[in-house]
Amino acid sequence: MKARFLFCALALLAGCQGKAPANSVRGDPERGRLALAQHACRACHMIPGLTGPETHVGRSLAGLAERRFIAGSLPNNQDSLVRWIRNPQSVDPRTAMPNLGVSERDALDMSAWLLTAKE
Amino acid sequence: MPSTRNRLILKTAAATLVLAGLAAAITGFVVLRAGWYDTTATSQHLQPVYTVLELGMRYSVRNHSSEVKVPPLGAPQQVLRGAAVYSAQCAQCHGGPGFAQSKIGQSMQPVPGPLVDASARWQPRELYWITKHGIKMSGMPAWQFHLSEADLWAVVSFMGVLPALSARDYARVTAGANGPAAPATGAAR
Repeated sequence: MKARFLFCALALLAGCQGKAPANSVRGDPERGRLALAQHACRACHMIPGLTGPETHVGRSLAGLAERRFIAGSLPNNQDSLVRWIRNPQSVDPRTAMPNLGVSERDALDMSAWLLTAKE
Repeated sequence: MPSTRNRLILKTAAATLVLAGLAAAITGFVVLRAGWYDTTATSQHLQPVYTVLELGMRYSVRNHSSEVKVPPLGAPQQVLRGAAVYSAQCAQCHGGPGFAQSKIGQSMQPVPGPLVDASARWQPRELYWITKHGIKMSGMPAWQFHLSEADLWAVVSFMGVLPALSARDYARVTAGANGPAAPATGAAR
């Protein structure tokens, strides 16, 4: 009972921060963070919460949730992001981003981290 | 001869240093012996640690490669040979135009980066040095005993044209890679 009250209070407090996209995001962000590291995403992209070199081969993925479009043409939502991560060539045949053979679950978790990660 | 007061200050300072050193050594030993440090490749360095290590590597490579004599680079034959070496030895960990590194390269810690920007980040003599001697504790092997001198320079030469290669160009220049002699079509720019 007490825990539920605390949860509600926290949810209210979170609401005060303005937008709260985290609520509607599916998947496990923390597992997504690990999946991003293990699929070498950080080799080309700067990603909040992941350690690595300063690189500009791919664009920085910081503040991804703020963008209106991803991959140039897709409206920015979690389904688009999962589709892009799993098969970039299906969106843009000429993209330099390779297909890394990411599973549906891994892509969902990755997108959860990217859409909720703070700087 | 320092006054009694000054001698006391010096003694206190020395004793403090010795005790602090001793405490640090004991703490270090306990952390080491208890196995608290996480050596898994799923855990990352802290960013400041990573940055300092990378910086140290840069300075080391720059310093050690300063005497290297660079031969003429960029002849079509040499670039084609470099493409063959790259596709056989480098691509599995670094990937290439249109494709990522294989699973073994994806999950290394630190992760081997793409080489498309290598020639913008490093001088040819530095790329030669890194390829020849590898990078300790990074997973980058030394190729000194596995590639000839000519092949080492050929792969450096190839990294110079890599940024301009599309996935299709890359497939073309590496197509004959496994044959006895890659034909010198001069197509590799």
